[in-house]
Amino acid sequence: MSRFNAARGLSRASGGISTFLSHRAGVAGAAILVVAALVAVIAPLLIPADALDVTRVTAAPWQAPGVEYWLGTDHTGRSVALLVVQGAGTSLFVGLTAALLAVGIGTLVGIVSGHFGGLVAGALLRVTDFFLVLPALVLAIALSTVLPRGLGTIVLAIGLTSWPSTARMVRAQTLTIEARPFVERARALGGGHGHVIGRHVLPSVVPLVLVNATLAVATAIVAESTLAFLGLGDPTRISWGAMLHQAQLHGAVPQRAWWFLLPPGVAIVVVVLAFTLVGRALEAVVTPKR
Amino acid sequence: MRVKACALLAIATTLGVATPQVQAQGPVILKVAIVQQIDSMNPFLAVFQSSTEVGRLMYDYLTAYAADDQRVTEGVANRWEPSADKLTWTFTVPEGKKWSDGKPITAQDVAFTYNLMLTDEVARTANGSFVTNFESVAATDDKTVVIKTKAPQVTMLALDIPIVPKHVWEKVTNIKDYANDQMPVVGSGPFVLTEHVAGQFIKLKTNKNYWRGAAKYDELHFVYFQNSDAAVQALGKGEVDLVNRMAPAQFDSLDGKAGVTRNKAQGRRFTELLINPGAQTKAGVPIGDGNPALKDVRVRRAIAQAVDLDALVQRVNLGYAEKGAGLVPPVFGKWHWQPGAGELRKFDPAAANAALDAAGYPRKDGTRFTLRLTGRAGRAYDEQASEYLKRSMSEVGIGLDVRLVSDNQLNEVTTAATYDLAFSGWATNVDPDFILGLHTCAQRPGADGKGGTTDSYFCDETYDQLYARQLSEFDEGKRVEIVKQMQARFYDQVPAVVLAYENALEGYRSDHFARFTTQPAQGGVIMAQNGMWGYYGAEPAGRVAQASSKGPWLAIGGMVLVAAVVIGVVVVRRRQATAGERE
Repeated sequence: MSRFNAARGLSRASGGISTFLSHRAGVAGAAILVVAALVAVIAPLLIPADALDVTRVTAAPWQAPGVEYWLGTDHTGRSVALLVVQGAGTSLFVGLTAALLAVGIGTLVGIVSGHFGGLVAGALLRVTDFFLVLPALVLAIALSTVLPRGLGTIVLAIGLTSWPSTARMVRAQTLTIEARPFVERARALGGGHGHVIGRHVLPSVVPLVLVNATLAVATAIVAESTLAFLGLGDPTRISWGAMLHQAQLHGAVPQRAWWFLLPPGVAIVVVVLAFTLVGRALEAVVTPKR
Repeated sequence: MRVKACALLAIATTLGVATPQVQAQGPVILKVAIVQQIDSMNPFLAVFQSSTEVGRLMYDYLTAYAADDQRVTEGVANRWEPSADKLTWTFTVPEGKKWSDGKPITAQDVAFTYNLMLTDEVARTANGSFVTNFESVAATDDKTVVIKTKAPQVTMLALDIPIVPKHVWEKVTNIKDYANDQMPVVGSGPFVLTEHVAGQFIKLKTNKNYWRGAAKYDELHFVYFQNSDAAVQALGKGEVDLVNRMAPAQFDSLDGKAGVTRNKAQGRRFTELLINPGAQTKAGVPIGDGNPALKDVRVRRAIAQAVDLDALVQRVNLGYAEKGAGLVPPVFGKWHWQPGAGELRKFDPAAANAALDAAGYPRKDGTRFTLRLTGRAGRAYDEQASEYLKRSMSEVGIGLDVRLVSDNQLNEVTTAATYDLAFSGWATNVDPDFILGLHTCAQRPGADGKGGTTDSYFCDETYDQLYARQLSEFDEGKRVEIVKQMQARFYDQVPAVVLAYENALEGYRSDHFARFTTQPAQGGVIMAQNGMWGYYGAEPAGRVAQASSKGPWLAIGGMVLVAAVVIGVVVVRRRQATAGERE
């Protein structure tokens, strides 16, 4: 029985992979993400600590791109190219953790409200509605103003504001799964809540959640950049949004220092695009018939 | 239909841009960019720098500070005489000075203003500190005001209180709710307030009755900008004539720009790093949660020694500042103090490390203890300097937890003493009394955490004794000496490290206005003076130059207009053409 299941799962997975591979945009996105992830992991090991230490840099501030500094220098004389590379880690980390938090909360609320229904669902859905109607950015700004500044706060602010749509979607999926005869059969055979949720609902919801998570990362990275740009991030941590914030604050615009504004902006666009492409491709894998 | 409305709107907007240019051919207008809001036009309530700046243009003070060297000079009064015991001061208001409505300015107006502040608590909101020591104020005749003080007061010639017209203000029953917006507002200064739309503009006209003679142009407009970036852009395009408080990068960006002259001036401000010395209330009860290690003066000195002030000035201020030392900036020459060879704390991380070891704070895993550094989010200096400080402190084994917060939060944190290190800064006056007084024991808050405006929670017996001595020292040479001793004591005890005296960075359209009066004459500021000389002394460039500068504007305006119409027509046509497909 279990072997049969595993074999079926395997064949389904390999079928999924081939479907995914047939989406060229998705593959390109995945390739970009692999490169970005590698950069984020390896870069901090390769960049000498002194290169980004404001008290140790020797280059002149606002240097235009050239041979020595490919993307020029910022207001303190640090290399913009190195900053972009260093910033990848923070942006990806915040994006991923915040998305996981949001999707985690969303999945939990969605499954619980879908499965139990009644009063529990009513209460949970009203909370979801509350968060859904609140403008997410405003709420995130308020949260990150009240809580102490830091990476954790940003993750929390984004996570707490972007889960309602996942919850709604997962609840809908849960309801359709639970209406199917095999769930009814499981119940009739004495399957409890844990069994039904763990063995039947969750496996059917997971692919959808995965797709949703991939798209949520893209949103979360944009949200992180927005908050950092508004100066609500961790001030001593380099991220793409924080770079844009500093560029704006220290007068990159009047300096005409496009090299300080463009690279982090392009980096955000590219990574967000990559996540979206992968998400769309995964969506096609999960729901082939459309 | 909606599209047509849009096109019309576009045309209207371009017309709106073009009209003031046409009007400008009439009166000569000095347009000044302003970023800070106005809290009140009522001089008894106005506290913001922007409001007091406008207040100085509307009302003269009893005395003024000369443009060239900031010495005390004629204001409403032209002569003054203290009694032998320094308790009674007699001021003479000469005949012939007039309010902007033509009525004479007399000693009665002076007595009325000060008495209003003595009797009405609300009227003491903004400038109350100047009159707390007053016993009585009386006008013996139209030319003479006699002020009696409870104790000798050295700041009698530095009473920064706008004198208001009695015939207008005696009808005001409730100072608190009086907005002072009966345009034109009757005043004694070189300009008369004629129009104010909050958050958009403030318009003033030249006061033809001004006793020094009317200014050399017709109108002075303050135009609001969302941020200084926008203001600097507007200066570059010639939409405004004068901008101040530029960031170093903005200032650099105007280098070599045709028609723009930059003014790098010695500022009145300093930036400091507060070090919580163990905050206590006036009664000596500890408040706040400052790190106890900072109560040790050796630790505070070590922290100060680990900060590379030269690097901060060079890298964060981009060289547009002077290295910090005493509490009084160098612009006030004689009061400014620099440490002597024996007192100077040189930047020396090794010595700081040794001092911290000796003070009994050994490193554990490289860190001795962690401190919070609180600064204001969105202030370029705080954001950048905090990065430098974090690196510098890690050199001496002190971890820094940087917390950049909103203006209000920063205020709360410093008032409640829930900081270890914090950025702060003050603008100083000609007389150093105010800035020195901020650091006395008496300025610490009461049991409820309110009252008192201490800057650093500093409380030092030696310092307080010196403060009391300088307050009643009428021999200026001796007072200067005491003031310097106080600054040396402050430097030695380090409740705060003065990081830098920032330059005031200003720029003006020299193609519109050829010259501005700076204060002081050498390296002085145009805006934010201890006076109104910058605006009053502005000299318009030749009319020809101004007219020619309008040519391209009209042309551009016209081109924009034509483009808007063309685009509007095209859009409408396209929409009509595709209407069938759409509906």
